[in-house]
Amino acid sequence: MDTAGSEIILSIREVTKSFPGVRALNGVSIDVRRGMVHGVVGENGAGKSTLMKILSGVYKKDTGTIVFDGKTIDHTTPYESMHRGLAIIYQELNLVNSMSVGENIFLGRFKEMKGMRGTHAKARELLDSIGCKVSTTKLVSELSVSTKQMVEISKALSFQSKLIIMDEPSTSLTGEEMSLLVKIIHQLKAQGISIIYISHKLEEIFDFCDVVTVMRDGNVIDTKPRGEFTRDELITKMVGRTIENEYPERSRQVGETLMEVKGINTRKLHDVSFTLRKGEILGLVGLVGAGRTETVRAIFGADRVRGHKVTIGGKPVTIHNPKQAKDAGLGLIPEDRKLQGLVLPFSVEQNISMASIDRFTRFGFLIKSLEKGIGARHVKSLGIKTPNTKVAIKNLSGGNQQKCIVGRWMEIGPSIFIMDEPTKGIDVGAKYEIYLLMKEIAEKGGAVILISSELPEVLNMSNRVLTIYDGRITGEFDPEHIPADVIMRAALGLGGAS
Amino acid sequence: MNKVGFILKDYLVLLMILGLALVTAIIQPKFMSPANLNNIMRQFGPLILVALGMTFVIVGGFIDLSVAGTINLVAVVTITLIDPLGQVGALVAGLVIGSICGAINAGLILTSGATTQAEALFITFGMSTVYSSLALIYSGGSTFHFWDLKEMPNMFEAIGAGSVGPLSVSFVIFLGALALLWIFHTKMAAGRAISLTGGNKTAARLSGVPIERSIVLIYTIAGFMAALGAIVLFSRVTTASPVIGAGFETNAILAVVVGGTTLKGGKGSVLRTVMGVLLVILLNNCLNLLGVSSYMQWAARGAILVFAIWLDNRKEVQGNQL
Repeated sequence: MDTAGSEIILSIREVTKSFPGVRALNGVSIDVRRGMVHGVVGENGAGKSTLMKILSGVYKKDTGTIVFDGKTIDHTTPYESMHRGLAIIYQELNLVNSMSVGENIFLGRFKEMKGMRGTHAKARELLDSIGCKVSTTKLVSELSVSTKQMVEISKALSFQSKLIIMDEPSTSLTGEEMSLLVKIIHQLKAQGISIIYISHKLEEIFDFCDVVTVMRDGNVIDTKPRGEFTRDELITKMVGRTIENEYPERSRQVGETLMEVKGINTRKLHDVSFTLRKGEILGLVGLVGAGRTETVRAIFGADRVRGHKVTIGGKPVTIHNPKQAKDAGLGLIPEDRKLQGLVLPFSVEQNISMASIDRFTRFGFLIKSLEKGIGARHVKSLGIKTPNTKVAIKNLSGGNQQKCIVGRWMEIGPSIFIMDEPTKGIDVGAKYEIYLLMKEIAEKGGAVILISSELPEVLNMSNRVLTIYDGRITGEFDPEHIPADVIMRAALGLGGAS
Repeated sequence: MNKVGFILKDYLVLLMILGLALVTAIIQPKFMSPANLNNIMRQFGPLILVALGMTFVIVGGFIDLSVAGTINLVAVVTITLIDPLGQVGALVAGLVIGSICGAINAGLILTSGATTQAEALFITFGMSTVYSSLALIYSGGSTFHFWDLKEMPNMFEAIGAGSVGPLSVSFVIFLGALALLWIFHTKMAAGRAISLTGGNKTAARLSGVPIERSIVLIYTIAGFMAALGAIVLFSRVTTASPVIGAGFETNAILAVVVGGTTLKGGKGSVLRTVMGVLLVILLNNCLNLLGVSSYMQWAARGAILVFAIWLDNRKEVQGNQL
C-alpha cells in the first residue's frame, strides 16, 4: 500500500506537555495523512490520551506546533476543534442519554437544521450513509455501546470531519459489532477521512491500520507502515523490553478442594454451585450480564444474597459483607476500577493500605511509619510507576492503578483471590505481570477465580473453566484440551456441557 | 497550573482572613481594640462546635440538617434537668441526648439504605423537624430562664460568660474539642475509615472498611457536638427556647465548605473548618464595624459560600488533568 503518497492532514511537531511532577509528552512528532487509518499504540501512561486531549482542546500543550488542514492550531476548545473538522470519539462515549439519536447528532444546532423535522431527516441520511438502521427518535439510553458509537460517528460526519480520533473503540464490542465498525472505518477511509485509531489490541492494529505509531513514556518510539512491523517488534517497542510469551505457563499444582459454593439463588442466578481447588485458577466465561460478576459478588458478600452455603477448607463460613469475606481469606479486584476500586483523591499509599488498616493500628491509633512501609513494599515489589507514594492515585496510569489494588490485597495475602476483569484497559507489560501474580498465588497454595471478557486470557490462564449463561452454569471444561469454540458455544447457551 | 497557583488556592481562606483583618484594621482602627478582639473570640462559641461536628459528616460524604432540631431539644431538656439532676447530671444528659439523636439519624440512613448525600439530606431534614417538635412538645412552647431555677447554675454561667486567664471558657472548650477531633481524624484508624468512606463508599466497603461504623460515628459526633453547642449557646444567653437552634445547620455547613472541605466527601479537616468559621465571623464583624446593613451581610455570606464551592470545583478540574 502506498502510505507516503497522500498529503498530510495533521502534523504534530515536537509537542511537549508536563503536569505537576510528571512529563506526559516529551517532544512528540507525528504526521497523519489524508485517508489513512493511523494506529497509535502504547502502554497506559505512554501519553496517547494526553496527546489526543491536546488535539481536541481539552488540554493546552506547553510547546511545539500542531498544523491541522493547513492551519496552525495554538489554543483550541473541544467545540472549536469539532467545527474545524477534528472529531474525537472517547471510550466513555459523550452522548446525552435522555435525548434521541437525532437530537444527539445535531445537539445545539437544531436551528441550523430548520427544526426537529430537518434534524431527524438529516440524521437519517448520515446514519444511512454508514449503514446504521437505528431509528432517529430512539433514546440513546436504549442503545447498545456499538450503536452509540455509530451515533458518535454520524455526529462527527455531520461536522464534515476530516479527521476522526477513536479512543479504544473496541473495548466493549462483540465480534460482530467489531466487524461492522471495521466496515465503517474502511468506508470513511474511502471518503478521504483520516482516522487515528488508539488501541491496546494488536489484532486490530494489524487488521486494518495503514500506519502505526508506537508511543512509550511520552515519546514516539517509531512510526512505520503496518507491513514493516512484526508482532514481536511492536510489542517489544511498546514495553521497551522483550516479552517471550503473552501468557506464562499454566501452573500445575492443583490439589484438594479449598472452597465449595452451593446453591446461589437470586433473581438473576439459578442454583450456582461449584468447587475451587488449591493451586487452581478457575475461569468464569460468559457474556456480559450472564451472571459472572453477580456470582463472585454474592460469594464476597458485596450484594445482599442469602441462602447459599460456602465452605472454605471444609469449614462452613458465613459471609454477609466484604469485611467477613476478607476475614475468611477472600480478596476481590472489582470490575470497575474507578468506581469500585480506587479512592481517587487519596494517595497511592493510602489506597494500598486501605484493606489492611488493622495491621498498622495500635490501640486505635495509626502507626504511619508502618503504613509507609506497606505502601513502599508493594510499590517496589509490583513495580508501580509513581514519583512517590504520597502522590494522589488519580495521577497514575490505569495499569499502575490496578497494581495498587493488587498490592492492597497482597498485603492481606488472601488464599482465594477473585479477579473481575483484572486486565481491562491495561497494557501488555502490566498484563503479564498480573498473570505472573495469579500464578504465584496459585502456586503458593491459594486459588484464583478469574473473570475476563478476553477469551484467550481465560483459556490460557485457567486450569478449569466454568461457563455461565443466563444465570446458570452451563458447563465445565479443561481449556487445555477442549477447543475454544466448544467452550464458547456453552457460554452462548448453545448446549455442549461436558 | 504552577506551584504558586496551587498554594494560593489551598491557602486562599487564610489569605482572605488576613486580608480582611488588615483592610478592616486600616479603615476602622476600632477593629484592633481589645473589646472587639474579645468580642470576636466570644463568637467562637456555639457555631464552631456545631461546625466541627458537621465536618466529619461532610468528610464522610454525607450531610446533616438535623443539628438545628438537636440543639432545640438538647437546650430545653438540659435546662429543665438542672433542678432534678444537678448541673453535672444535666450536662451529661444533654450530651447523651444529642449523641442519641445523631445515632438515630445514622440508624435511619443505614436501615433505609440511603447511600447518597441527597437522601441523607432529606432524612436529616425530616429528623430535624421531629427533634424540633419534640422540643416544642416537651417545653409546651415556653422559654426557660436561669432565674427561674431553684438556684443560679454557676457552672453553666461559667460556660457562658466565664474566663480562664485571657481566654473565655467557651474558647477553651473549643480548643479542647478541636484538639481531640483533630487527633481522632488524622491519627486514628476510625478517623481514616471515615475519610475513606467519604472518598469512595463502594471501594471502601469492598476493601472491608466498616462503612456502617463510619456512618454511625459521623452522625453521633455531629449530634454530640450539636449538644455541646446547644449547652454553650443557652449558657451564654441564660435562656433556652425550643427554637434556639434555628439556622445553625446552614451556618455550620457554610463554615465547613467555606473552610475548604469538599462537599464531595473524603477530603477536609477540622482545621479548615476553624478557618471557615473565622472568615464568616470576621466578615460579619468588619461589615458591622463598617456600618453595612444586615441585609447586605446576608448577601455577602451567600456570595462567599457560592465562591467556596466554585473554587472547590475549579480545584477538581485542575486536579483531574492527568
